[in-house]
Order: sequence, then structure tokens, then C-alpha cells
Amino acid sequence: MRERGVTAVPRPVIALLAATLVAQITWQAARPAPVARAEALGSPYPTAVTRVLTGDEVIAAAQLAALYLQAFDNQPGVSVPFRDLDYVRVEQWLTSMLELDPRGQYPLMMASQLYAQVPVAAKQRAMLDFVHRRFLEDPDRRWRWLAHAVITARHRLHDLKLALRYAEDIAHHARGAPGWARQIRIFILEDLGERESASILLGGLLAEGEVTDPQEIRFLTERLEALKAAEISSSSTAK
Amino acid sequence: MRLAATIARYTLLEAVRTRLPLLVVSAILLLVSASLFAQQLAIAEGTRFQIGLYAAGARLGAVFIAGLYVLASMAREFDDKGLDVMLALDLPRAHYLLGKLAGYLAIGMLLAAAAALPLAFAAPWSAALQWAISLGLELSVVIAFALFCIVSLGHLTVAASLMAGFYLLGRSLAAVRLMSANPIAGGDTLAHQVMHWTAEGLALLMPAFDEWTRTAWVVDAPADWTHIAVLAGHGALYVMLLAAAAMFDFYRKDF
Repeated sequence: MRERGVTAVPRPVIALLAATLVAQITWQAARPAPVARAEALGSPYPTAVTRVLTGDEVIAAAQLAALYLQAFDNQPGVSVPFRDLDYVRVEQWLTSMLELDPRGQYPLMMASQLYAQVPVAAKQRAMLDFVHRRFLEDPDRRWRWLAHAVITARHRLHDLKLALRYAEDIAHHARGAPGWARQIRIFILEDLGERESASILLGGLLAEGEVTDPQEIRFLTERLEALKAAEISSSSTAK
Repeated sequence: MRLAATIARYTLLEAVRTRLPLLVVSAILLLVSASLFAQQLAIAEGTRFQIGLYAAGARLGAVFIAGLYVLASMAREFDDKGLDVMLALDLPRAHYLLGKLAGYLAIGMLLAAAAALPLAFAAPWSAALQWAISLGLELSVVIAFALFCIVSLGHLTVAASLMAGFYLLGRSLAAVRLMSANPIAGGDTLAHQVMHWTAEGLALLMPAFDEWTRTAWVVDAPADWTHIAVLAGHGALYVMLLAAAAMFDFYRKDF
């Protein structure tokens, strides 16, 4: 359809359009910017309902849910909202995302890297426990997040026993994990003062030929020798 | 303006004759049945489930029906050359468009009232009333936007797509702004800055539908009446803006 020039439009119409446009922009500009409120985080829809609502677009639904959850806490002064978040709800959201998209890594990344960093031990433990439980469902794909959990348990919670339990589960269940991840338990044992157990494990690893990378073999051999030297010196001191 | 009132009355009559009321009643009955089914399935909070699902479904359904009805009705008007006949009369284009808009807005209000009727039996009446008023305002904006789209673009498919995009963006823009304002990583990149300012720019031009017709009003606690008054003010302003934009494009068409 052909169009006429702007001159064909009556002036009152142009004036009304300009006035209402300015009023709309002023109105919206005067409104406060949306603020994320940690306490306002609601429960996610049940997985079946989400499937229906999204026309079974489960991966997109899980991704949108991840971004939605993220929007509740990624505001300035991040540690305060994290602390205020209801972690039962957070876990419900993360569970829902994993149910929708079991191959997705984002929820476990959020649990281990974001929500487990909050300076509240109980909340940290809840997130580590969540990562551990979900790791056991699919160890070969999710081991890296439990490895992060080991580090958090070791360095933030200072709970070596918990770190050791997670590290042992990586070694026992995640056959597809690289050597370094499966060897974390050795260093935790060392930290626990159980040098003998650590050196037995390390010696076993080297003897069984599980480690094939020459650099890694050299590093682990040096580590084994250091452990043995420490054992000898501690036993001579005891005598 | 008497002619505009006549056009509005005939627009309402057209809705009755094209069986729009039957469609609305059927949709409401279907949603009520679905919500009752959900109530039976729920182990706890059955009534909350029922009201929540009905309110969310009725809101979306009403927007869908109202928007598509306006688009289809205006497209038929163009195709049947009814518009050409009207323009041949001594009738300013603005009066024709305002008459059509008034008729569609009346349909929107009736649709909102019908959708809220089941809620009046299940939720507190004040909450159901607030929900109905807010839905009426929301439908008014959607109707005005649909009218603007079909007048400006002329094509049903393009206009329907634009209308759906407008509504979905209006519902999610606050979340988009929150996400873009405080990224966890990559906030300094040019792409992110462009996205952020685009979202902020859109927020100036669009209504924030996430604050309208909230299900929480009927399942948890009613809204503040001041909030409803603010929505009414903003709704009226936005309908005027869209009507002016539609008139601007309508006057430029060379029929």
C-alpha cells in the first residue's frame, strides 16, 4: 500500500503522539529500576508442569531457569544476597534444572562455584552435599564439580574428613576422570597426616600403570619420594 | 463523535455475531476444568493450586483471544473493503479508528470480567476485583497494540508475531534488565554493554507487564489499591500513545 507524507497527518495527532511518547518515557524513567530480592525467590514449577508449559523444550527451560535463578543474586554486594537466599529453594531450582536437562553442567557449576562460596558453613555444606548426591548419579560427567567440592571442603570448611570422602568417591566412581582428579585423595591423606596410606596409594597408582603422562609420573614419583623421606624422618624422631 | 460511538457499537455487535462470547465461555470452562483436575491431583494446597493455575491460564488465554480477535477483525475489514466504504463517507479517519478502538476496549473489559468471574467464587472478592481491573487494563494495552500493528503493517502474520513478541517481552523485561545489569562475567565487553543499554532503552518504551495481573494477588495477598491506581494511570497513558501511533500511520495510508 502506498503511503502519504507526514503532512497528511493532522497536527493534533502528531502533537498527541509526541506528548504521549514523552509522557511514557518520563513515566518509565521515573520508576525505580527492578531490584532482586533474595527472600522473594519462589519455588520452581514441578518438572512435569514445566515440560507442559514449555512444549517439552526442556533444555531451553533449564537454561532459562538457570538465568532466572542467577538474576536473584547477581547484584552488587553479592555476598549479602547469597547469605540471604533460602538454600532449600535454591536446591529445588538446581534439582529442577538437572531433571530437565541432566547433561547440563550449569546447575552444578552454580552450586559448587557460586552458592558454595557463601560465608555460612551450613549453606556451604548443603551445596557440597547437593553436588555430591548429584555426582553419584552420573560420576563420569560430573566429577569436576565434586573436585571443586573437595577443594571447598579442604580450604574453606577445613573439614579434611569430608574432603577425603568426596575425593575417594571421585577415585572409586569416576573412572573417566583424569588422573589428577582421582589422585586428590592422596594429598588429602597427606594433609591428614596419614603419610603411610598416601604413599601406599601413590605407589599403587604408579605400579599399576594408571598414570601414563611422563610429566605426571615424574611429579608423582617425586611426591612419593618426599612422602617416604618424611616417613623415615618422623620414625627416626620418634625413636 | 456520534459516528465513532456507532462504529464502537457495531464493533461490539460484530463480536457477538462472530461467536466470540461462545469462544470465551468455552475457554473459561476448559480452564476451570483443568484447574479442578489439578486441585484433585495436589496432595496439599489444593485450592491454591486451583486458583493459581486458573489465574495464570486465564490471563494468557484472555490476552491471546483479545489480541487475535482485533487482528482478525481488522484484517477482515481491510479485505472486505468495508474500510473503503467507511472512508468514502464524511468521517474523519481518527473518528473511525477511535470508534473501532472503543469497541475493542469494551470487548476487552467484558472479557476480563468474564475471566475473573470464577475467581470471585474461590478467592477474596477484593483480590478478584483487583485482578479483573488489572487484566482489563492489560487487555486494553494488548488490544491497542494489536490495532496499531494491523493498521501499520497490514499483514496478519507479521502483526500477530509482533504482538506476541511485544507481550512476551513486556512480561520478561524486568528479569532481562536484572540479568543484564549485573552479569557474573563479561560485563565489560562491548556486546554486553550494547545488550544492557538495549534492555534499558526498551524499558523506557514498554509497559512492565510483570507487575500487572499478578497471580499472587489472588493466591496470597491482595495488592495495594494505590498500585492498581498507578496501573490504571499507566494503562490509560499507554493506550493513548498506541492510539496516537495507530492514527499517525492510518492517516499516512493512501487507500
